[in-house]
Amino acid sequence: MSDWLFFIEVSLAGLGSGALLSLTALAFVLIYKATQVVNLAVGEILMLGGYLFFAFAAGMGLSPWVAIPLAVIGGGIVGGIVERGIIRPMLGEAAISVFMVTVGLGSVLVGLVELIWGTDPRSLPNFIATAPLFLGEAYVSRKIAVAFVVAGIVVTVFLVLFRFWRGGVALRATATDQAAAYSCGINVPGVFSLAWIIGCATAAGAGVLLGAISGISPTMGIFGLSALVVVIVGGLDSILGALVGGLALGLIQSWTGTYLGGEYTSVVTFSLLIVALMIRPYGLFGTHEIERL
Amino acid sequence: MFKTTRRTMMGLMAGAASLAIGVGAARAQDGDIVIGGSLPMTGVFGFAGVAVEAGMQDYIKIVNDQGGIGGRNLRLAYEDTAYKVDQSVAVFNKLTSQDEIHLYYGDSTGFAKTIAPELARSGEMIMGGASFASELNDPEAYPYIFMAGPDYSEMFGILLEYIAQETPGARLVLVNSDTEFGRDPIESTRAKAAELGLEIVEEIITAPGSVDVSTEVLKLRRARPDYTLFHGYVLSPLPEFMSQAKQLGLETKFMGTFWSMDSSLWEGVGEAADGFMGVMPYRYYYDDAENAPMMETIREMRPDYQATGYMQGFLSAMLMAESARRVLDNGEELNGKTLKAAMNTIEDFDTGGIMGVPISVPGNSVPVGRVYQFDASAGRMVAVSDWISLDKE
Repeated sequence: MSDWLFFIEVSLAGLGSGALLSLTALAFVLIYKATQVVNLAVGEILMLGGYLFFAFAAGMGLSPWVAIPLAVIGGGIVGGIVERGIIRPMLGEAAISVFMVTVGLGSVLVGLVELIWGTDPRSLPNFIATAPLFLGEAYVSRKIAVAFVVAGIVVTVFLVLFRFWRGGVALRATATDQAAAYSCGINVPGVFSLAWIIGCATAAGAGVLLGAISGISPTMGIFGLSALVVVIVGGLDSILGALVGGLALGLIQSWTGTYLGGEYTSVVTFSLLIVALMIRPYGLFGTHEIERL
Repeated sequence: MFKTTRRTMMGLMAGAASLAIGVGAARAQDGDIVIGGSLPMTGVFGFAGVAVEAGMQDYIKIVNDQGGIGGRNLRLAYEDTAYKVDQSVAVFNKLTSQDEIHLYYGDSTGFAKTIAPELARSGEMIMGGASFASELNDPEAYPYIFMAGPDYSEMFGILLEYIAQETPGARLVLVNSDTEFGRDPIESTRAKAAELGLEIVEEIITAPGSVDVSTEVLKLRRARPDYTLFHGYVLSPLPEFMSQAKQLGLETKFMGTFWSMDSSLWEGVGEAADGFMGVMPYRYYYDDAENAPMMETIREMRPDYQATGYMQGFLSAMLMAESARRVLDNGEELNGKTLKAAMNTIEDFDTGGIMGVPISVPGNSVPVGRVYQFDASAGRMVAVSDWISLDKE
């Protein structure tokens, strides 16, 4: 096998795992864009999504194609409840307080999952075909290819929605200036709820895909931290940044793991994070806020 | 300045009274032999902690039902550590200040290494635990540590002995997680493989928390090994590794070490798990071998399947209890030195079938194990080798 073919295969694998990062990063971006809250519990919502799918598909014996939308909806409902019950009463409080609330929320979700499903790692029922996929001569894991396609579609849909849909425009307006959005008749609290519901539903969907590849465990939320790197590099409020950042990080991690060794992955990833932030502190595609006095 | 008022006096009296009640309660339990435990009941190793605790409690119950040790009951005093070293140390400090503890169960290599100087300083206790780190298997450096099974290097030694017998000159790939746990046996495995005429054709290190293993499987495809040996994982990403390798038509056999050998975990994986092999120092819960009466007792106490961690906790408690029994029978005082010396006198000891051969503890470990293979249709691990004892001399 030629080295070039190997390089292409490694790159495709990197793009695939990067797509999963993009999808998770999208959850951070959606919530931050509308509410200016960095929701550190995204990783745990993702984990919950995996467990909800497990409960519906393995526990209740539903078809995976029914269980997937139910898990996504479940994630959205949790997001809605959290926003209405915990985050909204915190409006006006210091950003660090809200941030810490999301940290606590993550721990609560892990605890709940451990109480309900126990601490054992588990495998999800298979719903993606296992036959190998070849692009020309290059091998791609089918699950990773599916993750790539799903992430690509979801991110594109969100890019279009934000551009043309009224709700998307309302969300952008709220993100730009809450007071002005209020005065235009936009239901700002409604936008907040919507952002949390969609963000958490996206995270739950990513959890199902991630669980299909690597299985589920109460600690799988740690994946959210890698996605946080993506949004910091890509820009906390940029959907395009989440997409490009995720794919880039996936590629870099894949190349590093292959040609330098897995032990260099974290070193290279976080070194790049530092360099990227030094060059563009607001992220590659983030909004550069200028305050004029 | 401090001013004595009637209210502060009342407070002081109430405090003194509650202290007296507390001391009384502690005294009432003075006769117990307490096993302390920093147990990971939650977090990444939570599945192990829960099982270990159940195993220890059951063996303690068996001992206590038979009258205890020298008339003294065994008692497990433990708290959750979430598998974090700082929390494990905090639990250790708390428990050792509350009770007189001479036997302890620690949850990780990091904790064992952190607390070892304290064990050596106080000389009060011996400590076992969830770690089978090769580094800890050094009686000179860690005189008060023991492990209820082979260390990770010895586990690989058992696997390599089996491979050398089955496929002389086999090509191997080592896949290790980039953690202290994962990297543990790499050096010793290289030496052992060379000694047995086996060829390591690729070493793959995976980043902690890495999800997709496509790139690693591509490396595996280039290496074309006869055996792929995993270490430093519980379950993920092994199933995906195996599933992708099967998709690519790789013929390699996959193997793991103790913490990835629980059969209920593999049962959940389904067909992709078929053929997974690995080293296991203990019998499985459902092993109904005739010469294993303790397995029967366990099944009577717990009608449902118990994970491998259960057996590890059970045997740990058994070794602790046996050491304490020998010390007290000799009329000696319980402390680290006497307990460890007593443990090292354990020779050809019958575990009731928890381990399939009589065991000895010449140093810090029990270098015994057996190779099992997962049969997906039966949902069980099936023994494919006899019990293998490594001669440490």
